[in-house]
Amino acid sequence: MLRYLLRRVLYAVPVLLGVSLATFILFYGIFPPEQIARRNLSAKNPTSQQIQEWLVAHDYNHPLPQQFKKHMTELMLLRFGRSDSTGEEIWTRIKTGAGPSTIIAGLVFTASLATRLFFALWSAYFRATYVDTWITLVSVFLMSVVYIVLVIAGQYLMGKVLRLFPLAGYQSGWTAFRFAVLPVIIGVISGLGGGTRLFRTFMLEEMNQDYVRTARAKGVPESRILFVHVLKNAAIPIITSTVLAIPALMLGSLVLESFFGIPGLGSYTVDAINAQDFAVVRAMVFLGTLLYIAGAILTDVCYALADPRIRLE
Amino acid sequence: MLDWLSNLFPVLVVVVGFWSVRRALRQPLWAEAWRRLKANRLALIALSVIGVYALVGFCDSIAWRNDKNANSLSLIDRAFSRPAEPTYSAPLANKTFGEPTPRALQGRHLLGTDGTGQDVVYLTLKGCRTALIIGGFTLLIATPLALLLGMLAGYFGKRVDDAVQYTYTVLDSIPNILLLIAMLLVLGRGLPQLCVALGITSWVGLCRLARGETLKHREREYVRAARALGISHGRILMHHILPNLLPIIVISVTLGFSGLVLSEAILSYLQLGVAAGTGSWGNMIDASRLELARDPVIWWNLAAASAALFILVLAFNLFGDALRDAIDPRLNS
Amino acid sequence: MFSRRRFWSGLAFLFLLGGCGNSPYPTGLTRESVYFMSQQDDPRKLDPASSYRANEGQILDVICPSYYEYQPLKTKKIQLQLMLGEREAERESYPYTVAGKGKVQGERWTFHIRHDLRFQDDPCFPGGKGRAITAKDFLYAFRRMADPANASPVVTFFSDKVVGFSDLVERNAKLQKADKGADYVTPIKGLQLDATDPYTFRIVLNQPFPQLRYLMAMHFTSPMPFEAVTFYGKEINQHPVGCGPYVLQEWTPKRRIALAVNPNRPTEFYPSEGDPGDKEKGLLRDAGKRLPLADKVVITNIPESTTGWNLFLQGYMDAWGVTQTNFQQVMTQQGALSPEMKEHDIRLVKSNDLWVTYFAFNMSDPVVGGYTPQKRKLRQAISLALNSQEFIELFSMGNGLAAQSIIPPGIYGYDPKYHNPYRTFDPKLAKAKQLLKEAGYPNGIDAKTGDRLTIYYDNAKIEAAGRQYIGLISRQIEALGIHLESRAQRDVVWQNKIEGNDWQLVDYGWIADYPDAENFLFLLYGPNKRPGPNLSGYNNPAYNRLFERMRAMNDGPERLALMHQMRQMVQEDCPLIYLQEVQRMSLYYNWLGANKPHPIANTLLKYRAVNGEQRAQLQTKWNRPVVWPILMFGVVLVLGSLPAVQVVKHRHNRRVTDRNPSQQEVSA
Repeated sequence: MLRYLLRRVLYAVPVLLGVSLATFILFYGIFPPEQIARRNLSAKNPTSQQIQEWLVAHDYNHPLPQQFKKHMTELMLLRFGRSDSTGEEIWTRIKTGAGPSTIIAGLVFTASLATRLFFALWSAYFRATYVDTWITLVSVFLMSVVYIVLVIAGQYLMGKVLRLFPLAGYQSGWTAFRFAVLPVIIGVISGLGGGTRLFRTFMLEEMNQDYVRTARAKGVPESRILFVHVLKNAAIPIITSTVLAIPALMLGSLVLESFFGIPGLGSYTVDAINAQDFAVVRAMVFLGTLLYIAGAILTDVCYALADPRIRLE
Repeated sequence: MLDWLSNLFPVLVVVVGFWSVRRALRQPLWAEAWRRLKANRLALIALSVIGVYALVGFCDSIAWRNDKNANSLSLIDRAFSRPAEPTYSAPLANKTFGEPTPRALQGRHLLGTDGTGQDVVYLTLKGCRTALIIGGFTLLIATPLALLLGMLAGYFGKRVDDAVQYTYTVLDSIPNILLLIAMLLVLGRGLPQLCVALGITSWVGLCRLARGETLKHREREYVRAARALGISHGRILMHHILPNLLPIIVISVTLGFSGLVLSEAILSYLQLGVAAGTGSWGNMIDASRLELARDPVIWWNLAAASAALFILVLAFNLFGDALRDAIDPRLNS
Repeated sequence: MFSRRRFWSGLAFLFLLGGCGNSPYPTGLTRESVYFMSQQDDPRKLDPASSYRANEGQILDVICPSYYEYQPLKTKKIQLQLMLGEREAERESYPYTVAGKGKVQGERWTFHIRHDLRFQDDPCFPGGKGRAITAKDFLYAFRRMADPANASPVVTFFSDKVVGFSDLVERNAKLQKADKGADYVTPIKGLQLDATDPYTFRIVLNQPFPQLRYLMAMHFTSPMPFEAVTFYGKEINQHPVGCGPYVLQEWTPKRRIALAVNPNRPTEFYPSEGDPGDKEKGLLRDAGKRLPLADKVVITNIPESTTGWNLFLQGYMDAWGVTQTNFQQVMTQQGALSPEMKEHDIRLVKSNDLWVTYFAFNMSDPVVGGYTPQKRKLRQAISLALNSQEFIELFSMGNGLAAQSIIPPGIYGYDPKYHNPYRTFDPKLAKAKQLLKEAGYPNGIDAKTGDRLTIYYDNAKIEAAGRQYIGLISRQIEALGIHLESRAQRDVVWQNKIEGNDWQLVDYGWIADYPDAENFLFLLYGPNKRPGPNLSGYNNPAYNRLFERMRAMNDGPERLALMHQMRQMVQEDCPLIYLQEVQRMSLYYNWLGANKPHPIANTLLKYRAVNGEQRAQLQTKWNRPVVWPILMFGVVLVLGSLPAVQVVKHRHNRRVTDRNPSQQEVSA
């Protein structure tokens, strides 16, 4: 297992190289740094001398190959440098932003998993009754709602009409919970439809297996079959699909954070994109990739843990 | 001259579409699937809903100009376009909405008008073509790319496989949304750019699928036999493996379509959507962020756009499900 | 079992903690004397040498004040008053000779600062205690502007006027290329300390420049301790160290900025005079009180304007602006405050901004540019087709003036009686169509080629409100038969097009740096063409000559006469289509003391008084949560499933009994 992990980590290196190459081409080859300079200088009408000075100050004044070398080594050593627009150390912001992001994404992740499982079990338990039909129907409905409408409507209903949660904002510490609830609920609902349906399929697939029939024949109560036997065996596809959905979680966080004013990494990225802050965008793309690869490795480990038949080698 | 060419294209799309469906239905696998599909009432309703959307999109693509200096108008423009009002107006109202001194309207509007005074029914119909183009063209870019690379990788293995796998692992490792944003920043705004960007980000899943399936089929008896008979690799891929991949591809494409249509709305929120002149549900929904803050609320814009989007996506989801069940009844639990 | 119960009760407690109350602030804070506001964008930096955005100035100017400041209540005729200065600066003629150039008619200004000034307490000082401020710290601020590392946006204001400043800027640029720090040592002629008095400094200019007083009211000229720059290094733009009424207590990016009262602040009091009528409005109620009035200012970052508005309605923001989205709720059709707002204890205040918006033609474009009579007529025709009033009705709720010239009200030289013949809208467009015909485009069709005239409108309006804006301008211009093609791009791409001179028509606005006509008329001065502020590239030698004369004058009839001549020239050449003099409507809760917006002053935060007790009461009253729909939802879910439980039980029993009746007995 250890050797397998090591190999996976090593394999990540060429992938990361490819990603940094792609970001370089995307941002650097096509966006001349003069444009970044112009966008980030605060003067109403920067002179060309001011632009030159900015380029020198931000180390963008080298020929392309040299710039490329700098870009690659900096990313590989995780030296992200300073933001183009605020001059702030990027790592400082990543550290402060990681907290809120982890809280939101983590809560969305666990709460999603729990609610999906709950409704899928509910649906499977009452299969072939009207409850099952309704859950499936509502799921397809939820799948067809536009995410952004859900966000807008959710804030309007729960924040403005029912006055249950703060409309936006964030505080650190325990009170963060109050601000996280609304975005998390919306994040959960957005993925509920597809997730429930998928999990239900996994469970029904298991329910047609022989061992379930045997258990039933032995007189094991239906609830025990469902909650113990089926759930255990459906765990593998559930884990895979859940981990595979992590990138989608990131998209969700992006929109949720920027909409609800949560100072996490997602809104940091959106702002950087709007401000044409190349240094931050490239750092965030790289970091996102790292997380993704880590997630993929984690999936494999979870596999092995959930199913003793699978051995990593 | 240009009019003639631009009208030829949608006609061509429809003709080719019909022709390939007709051809497919002659084959036993697809004929059988169609028979099962016909028995499913929900699927037929979904299919006809999709048909209606397609018809609207088609009518909106057939356009010509009345004289040299006029704007080119589509069938939808000719049938549903209304004179623009000054600004917002409520459904069936006779005065503008949202001005200190409301003005009289030129006509009544079933679903009111938006901020620029355009009829919302008309705008919603215009959004149809954009949505279909985003779904259709993106898949037109992504599917062949995914199939080609996936089948090559699965069939030849070794170096080819390594290269393809490396490419899609890298692409897949960059969070999709960031890659999309980055590409749209580079390519610029516009419908074709949007399709290209979405195409590049959405081929990976399909490619992985195609590679896996090809890998399976490569070891099957019939492929080995074909190879032993000395049939060329190209021919094996095109005539033997591809037809076997088609069912799974068709299902995944149908289900992928709705995801693409939905992503347009999110991109509009991130201000990466299509330009102002192009009808777009995403833009209408984006505008409603400000409209919902008003009191009295302007709901008709959001309602019309999200309903249109919802129905299309729902139809695709239902139809996709039914299609999967029809093609591969074993999956039906 | 016990632990499980504890888990559930803990969870319920958490939910109560989170669910109850929608206040975005820590409990009890709104009861105190704290002023709550929001900003849509986070400040990028708070550094007196380089911050230039409005949202940065609003905060920075109460931390880092300058020699002068604007009198906050006198908005009819804008006035400066002393802030860090002890007395008015002395301005005298100062002829000097330059080798090779001969005699220069320069100017020398002498500034005397207060003797009791101290910097705020900050870890950058020995012992953490702020030290006394001398004239040196003022001149140090000037030298920081010349340092390329600070990318100061206003360096051009000084570099062509302060003697020796441009040489310093060039020297610094060379040093930067050689990877060396900027020069802070070599004395320059333009910035002088007094040999005997540490509280006096002098600035020598190479030309008369009466506007220097205004520049001495901007935070760029605020005194700066070198200790802070040494201590914070590159992080200096997150740690402003000043001597104003407030200090920066907290800055969590994208979340919150908090300002607290500075114990070392200079003594200053709420003014006792204002415009006529201010006393009746209660604006002088706090006269003579020591500033600042509020103990704390909390600025929350709220990116969505909709969210901010709703927070204001819930009472969590103390002030808000009237915008296109909320005015129907705010005002009745007669323009008065709506009953709902009155019930909410809100008042409405209208004010002017020194802000003019306009469309600009590219004067070097082959289609719309040029100075021939035909090209002029084309621009005049388009100008006549644009109806400012409709823009104002739609986007500013009827609040704003249709601009007639570049100079907004409140600036000397504004003439309310002047009507620009090409900015007078006639719904029939008779004159516009006539002019268009004379320009060679009858009904918008090019008489030579028979093609419709297409004009490209480049803009960065990609958000929802912007799309509405594009719709309106297209409709107005297309009424002439011209086709308007909108090219909406992201901000960067758009700016790039302007820099690359690849545009025909754009819209733009100008907010005054200081309240002098020169700051507006220079927008059309030929030598100021891009990358200077002259966007259209208008270059009329006669206008340029007049501008150079008018620039150095004090306000008076002679200057006014020159300005009228210039206005006449621009009116006929029509390089700009003036759209709107922006006016602002603000909403204040009555728990705030009297407030008066100011067209240009950035120091208003220190005049805000808050009655926290009253605010906290109303907030509780307005924000009772509604829980029953959630409970109902849960109840429906459970009740709805009950019949199915029976079905399943029945099915399970039947299955078991059908298959193996004896088994059940055994297992039971």
